[in-house]
Amino acid sequence: MFLEVRNLTKSFKKEQVVKNLDFTLDAHQTLSILGKSGCGKTTMLKMIAGLVKPDNGEVLLAGEAVTLKKPEKRNIVYLYQEDLLFPHLNAFENIAFGLRLKKLPQAKITEEVDKIIVSLELEGQATKMPNQLSGGQRQRVSFGRAIITNPSLLLLDEPFGSLDAGTRKRMQTLFQNLTKTYNITSLFITHDLKEALLIGDKIGFMKAGNLKVYEDKNAFINDTTTGVQEEINFWESLN
Amino acid sequence: MRLNWKPFILSLFVILVLFPFAFMVLLSFMSGWRFPDLIPEYMGLNNWNTILGSEVGLLESFFSSLIISLSVAIISTLTGFLLSRTVYYHPRKRVLTLLTYFPYILAPVVFAACLSYFFLKLGLFGNITGVIVAQFLIAFPYALLFFSSFWNKKIRSYEDLVATLGGSPVQKFIKVILPLAKSMLLMCFFQTFLISWFEYGLTSIIGVGKVQTLTIKVFLFIKESNYYYGALACCLLIFPPIILLYFNKRYVFKNPI
Repeated sequence: MFLEVRNLTKSFKKEQVVKNLDFTLDAHQTLSILGKSGCGKTTMLKMIAGLVKPDNGEVLLAGEAVTLKKPEKRNIVYLYQEDLLFPHLNAFENIAFGLRLKKLPQAKITEEVDKIIVSLELEGQATKMPNQLSGGQRQRVSFGRAIITNPSLLLLDEPFGSLDAGTRKRMQTLFQNLTKTYNITSLFITHDLKEALLIGDKIGFMKAGNLKVYEDKNAFINDTTTGVQEEINFWESLN
Repeated sequence: MRLNWKPFILSLFVILVLFPFAFMVLLSFMSGWRFPDLIPEYMGLNNWNTILGSEVGLLESFFSSLIISLSVAIISTLTGFLLSRTVYYHPRKRVLTLLTYFPYILAPVVFAACLSYFFLKLGLFGNITGVIVAQFLIAFPYALLFFSSFWNKKIRSYEDLVATLGGSPVQKFIKVILPLAKSMLLMCFFQTFLISWFEYGLTSIIGVGKVQTLTIKVFLFIKESNYYYGALACCLLIFPPIILLYFNKRYVFKNPI
């Protein structure tokens, strides 16, 4: 297993937010995680990224324990719902940011960024500042900035939550293509059932700090507690 | 045709605002203007020439003020910025912020009187270092409060993002936090410079007459009823703030991030 999360627990004051989290994920797979607001999804991702210290448990990446490592040493990139582009840098420099931190030569940076700009369908946008880009373009730049660093694991916290329906659909397709092209392993948090089914190789459902990862998509669909059956019934009742 | 009064009223207001400044400049060129004379005895560059001479010590005061204010502005802006981050992430953020207001509860003169014992023990009475430390105690809490609005959830998210992208704490500061805070840093520098530049109460007590800043000089000339030198000192007093205002307008307000 590439990612192993064992018995991860976190409490804030007296409230236990994440309870004995146990799951695994193979390399180059995406695990979609559904769950209501406040059920502990973000805390879980932040613990895996090293941004929040767990009370108990450990995280293993490719067999190596990373629980005590600092976030900058884990090679795990955490992406927020907000694109968080650096307002003082243009699209090119935003994408190149991670490579600049690694102090790679300029020629290598230019080559890598140009390549990813094509993959992200951002040709002609490189010199634009973040405030000159649309919501979808900004989110693509944000993806590019994460992917270019070749992370071992990508954590996405409702990345398409703020996009309109059309842009969201295009971004979902783009994300699927990128995960295949760059062999990305990721945890993808969403509130959208359809998006979870479309993007995830595996699906998990989080409720009150507990995460249940399903064997396959059918097991998820047939579980009455996930709300999928209610959704199906609603659409069927319209016919 | 109806007469439009708006431009006249506006002009009158502009004249009313600008008149004291224009009169102050004129006064700095004069001497011996007594009632009921319509014009002064002398009008020329004599007063200004004295700046270069050591007789009045205005040039010396100007440079002392500049050194004190630049030191106070630089130190309080940088320490205020760095420590405001610590305060923001501190679990007792509210209590610490409340304590920041403490120096403003007392009048500067009373505050200086409270501090004078410690300054005396530390050998900081009557020298420039003492005045810098005293003014820092007023400017630093201001900077701390000023930057408290900069730190928020979004900035924290930026910090976390840079960390997960592989950035060290130093890289995080240099490549993201400082550029994001650039406008606020310049603004705070300007404000703390002005706090220090026009400070009178603390400076007069801690400086005990040995450190004569321009503000102290202005008060001295006015006490002596020497309005011409007072006006001249005022001209020098408003010169650096005008330059700073120009740079602020050019670099801060035109390039907000």
